Amino acid sequence: MTKILLANADKPGQNTIAKYRERGGYKALEKALGMESSAVIDEVKASGLRGRGGAGFPTGMKWSFVPRNTGKPTYLLCNADESEPGTFKDRFLLEREPHLLIEGMAIAAYALGCHLSYIYMRGEFGFLEQPMEAALEEAYKAGILGASVLGRDFALDIHLHMGAGAYICGEETSLIESLEGYRGYPRIKPPFPATHGFLASPTVVNNVETLAALPWIITNGAQAHAAIGTEKSKGTKLFSVSGHVSKPGVYEVDLGYPLLDFINNEAGGIPNGRALKAVIPGGSSVPVLRAEECQGVLLDYESLLKAGSMLGSGGMIVLDDTAKMPEVLSVIADFYAHESCGQCTPCREGTGWASKVLRNLVAGEGTKADVDRLLKIADMMEGKTICPLADADVMPIRSFVTKFRSEFEALAAS
Amino acid sequence: MPKFTLNDQPIEANDGQTIIQAAQDAGIDIPHYCYHPDLPIDGNCRMCLVEVEKMPKLTPSCTTMATEGMVVRSSSERVKEAVRGVLEFLLINHPVDCPVCDQAGECRLQDYYMVYGLHTSEIPLEMKVRKRKAIDLGPMVVLDQERCVLCSRCIRFFEHVTDTGEMQFFGRGDHVAIGTFEDKPLDNPYSGNVVDICPVGALTSRDFRFKCRVWFLHSTDSVCAGCSTGCSVRIDHRDGTIFRLLPRRNVEVNQSWLCDEGRLSFHELQTGERVVRPMIKGRDGIQAPVTWEDAVRSIDSRLKEIREANGAGSILGFGSPSATNEALYLFKRYLGGELGATHFDFRVDSEDTNVAEEEDQVLRHFDKHPNSMGAMKLGLMSAELCGIEGAIKAAREGRIKAGVVIYFNPLVRRRRDEEAEGRVLELIDQLEYSVVLATHRAEWHQSASVVLPVAAWSEEEGTYTNFQGRVQLAGRAIESGGDALPVWEVFAMLLHAAGAESPWMASDDVFSTMTETEAAYRGLTIEQTRLPGAVVVE
Repeated sequence: MTKILLANADKPGQNTIAKYRERGGYKALEKALGMESSAVIDEVKASGLRGRGGAGFPTGMKWSFVPRNTGKPTYLLCNADESEPGTFKDRFLLEREPHLLIEGMAIAAYALGCHLSYIYMRGEFGFLEQPMEAALEEAYKAGILGASVLGRDFALDIHLHMGAGAYICGEETSLIESLEGYRGYPRIKPPFPATHGFLASPTVVNNVETLAALPWIITNGAQAHAAIGTEKSKGTKLFSVSGHVSKPGVYEVDLGYPLLDFINNEAGGIPNGRALKAVIPGGSSVPVLRAEECQGVLLDYESLLKAGSMLGSGGMIVLDDTAKMPEVLSVIADFYAHESCGQCTPCREGTGWASKVLRNLVAGEGTKADVDRLLKIADMMEGKTICPLADADVMPIRSFVTKFRSEFEALAAS
Repeated sequence: MPKFTLNDQPIEANDGQTIIQAAQDAGIDIPHYCYHPDLPIDGNCRMCLVEVEKMPKLTPSCTTMATEGMVVRSSSERVKEAVRGVLEFLLINHPVDCPVCDQAGECRLQDYYMVYGLHTSEIPLEMKVRKRKAIDLGPMVVLDQERCVLCSRCIRFFEHVTDTGEMQFFGRGDHVAIGTFEDKPLDNPYSGNVVDICPVGALTSRDFRFKCRVWFLHSTDSVCAGCSTGCSVRIDHRDGTIFRLLPRRNVEVNQSWLCDEGRLSFHELQTGERVVRPMIKGRDGIQAPVTWEDAVRSIDSRLKEIREANGAGSILGFGSPSATNEALYLFKRYLGGELGATHFDFRVDSEDTNVAEEEDQVLRHFDKHPNSMGAMKLGLMSAELCGIEGAIKAAREGRIKAGVVIYFNPLVRRRRDEEAEGRVLELIDQLEYSVVLATHRAEWHQSASVVLPVAAWSEEEGTYTNFQGRVQLAGRAIESGGDALPVWEVFAMLLHAAGAESPWMASDDVFSTMTETEAAYRGLTIEQTRLPGAVVVE
């Protein structure tokens, strides 16, 4: 399988600019600067690259929504607010391949006509602040960033901005609000960031993994990228797998790779001779799959959707038959209650209520009515909020309770 | 002007209007908390969700523009269920405070629950989120964080109307609470407005707190008499006592707002003793109570005597910029029309003609009288006298012998008021014969030859003309005590005593006559003086 992102990540000490350039780093940027910016956008469109943050929106198409000649500057924001439970793939790239990200951002900035860009990094990644600043400084010193990128007539500044510990700031309009200095509350859409984003100007927010894929695409061409993966899910995907597996970690596979193969091969299978019970394939916000439901499922956007779940961020959590599903759901529900920004009624109250009901249930103080109550809360929250955080709580609640109902009912006080 | 339908009813919206705005204009209320016509849109409460054909999800009607051919439903089962859900969510952590909460009776949680909810609570009391209660936010406002539904109206008010940003959200998720930084008291001349706009009892008025249940109150439309802005207000009263003033929405004058001084101005009326009987000073120099009949006859004959002896120019009509147009009109008609007096003024201090000078960027004007413009338009401004100083001088020099003075205590006090009253006393002292019409007793009344008890603001119906030249009707909410009469009635009686025609039975009769005879008000009808009032040309 092709390694677009993790070709060198396992080798130690690879994150300096010298090492990066040794293996051909920043050559893709050189090539892109020699193209028309519109040609770069076309290349990315043709590559079939889709957003790797979780939404899976075609990247080239997102870029083409940005109006040119508005008289306002265009901003590129890198979403490094990785907070989806089970997801730690961006962290891996930020730590080990900062220059891959910087080169990807420079290519994207050139394509969009952006001269001021920000990396919005999750506050909890404080230990990565200095290393990332160091990488940016290396880039400035080497003339990659600054008034004249690689000596060309293109100026680009990239700044690092640390978040302050809120999952909600991974939502693009919330990220923008936070970057502007306000509380991280998602905005009402329309207008969309493409036209009115950061400082009311055209803005593109891209995930770390998405941007990191760009140098390979420019170097090898859109066709080469489109040759990997499936018809609608092109390229490779990073999966951060955790839970009951022998080899938890971050792996890169071609899209379309079978889910069970991934668990048994790359992730080393379920240890201690236990059996697979459930898989959350793409971060806690996607519906859980029972072991039986994983048969024949491929790791791509379409196949997982058909199976009743989603590819999401690729944060895979594997559960064996010792897992108590109500407890697992309670931990997940606590997360959403903790992270709800509180702006709109259904999410603010619903996530809190669901979390409390589940705690009661798990503590043995719940009733049978609480099981249906959870489903009712989910229905009441779904589709009525400003941003999808509430829906992200609905998916696990509904799938866990529906697929493992007997476990929940068993907990109800008799 | 997009045409759309709401529940099959055709509505024509203005360009750029949202569904909720167009619906409101058409008289249909879509339930909402965070939306307010005079604040920027927030879309956070999710109560105004409606179904729009071709949109897969329910959409908030406050953030969605009305477009041509849109088909909107606000009463389908899907919408009703969503609204019931939002209501249930709002109530799960809401404290069961109704018995001790001022908002009861005008609370949107109560009201919407009766229409859209009527569900049984599914959350045990122990599970409710607890927050801080009865937080002192300064002289006007009390905050109860538990009752708050986090609609952000108060935050948006301070952010966008007064541009001061005192309130903000603190915390995250269902622990979010509104408040000021470190509970700092609100030091903002418009802080009372957040009590009005708070849809629940989270922000309550310290002044009104626990005083009266709202369902016992009667409401009278009126105009604030605090300054020349003339904000439209509603007087809430019960059994002759005013309990509170609320703004009425007048897009041409005050939108939905009222300043704190104006809001509390009715308390001035309850301060001090009222003048209750007409009093005439006898030869012994002591004022003794008389009947209205005797008072009026005495005044008319005495003024005529002085006119015979010294000419009509020796009589001064010193009106008040706080008197109604109807009062000032008959005042002028009696003294000027009937007795032929030529000296008229009303200016007690230099601010009185700065009718349009703004005290701040929001509402207030420096002129703390509601009807300076009215007095001016009736021609009560003497170019010769230039205010009370000139009148005092003329009286001292003997050119003016007699004066009828209307004096109302300002309802919004300033430091210069004492000086101003001092000047009125000086004028009275210099006059040989003085008739003072007043509401509240003061020491300086003793210098007057006659003191007449009159109705104060809220006790006399009449119109005021504000700084814009806008005529608005102020209603009569309560009765004056004792023998006090509306000012217009006093002059109607004087006209009658003088033998002139005096056919008016109510203040709007006077208004009609005024519009016939005064150029400034020609053609105006009393209906036009209701919200938003009518601007009269120069």
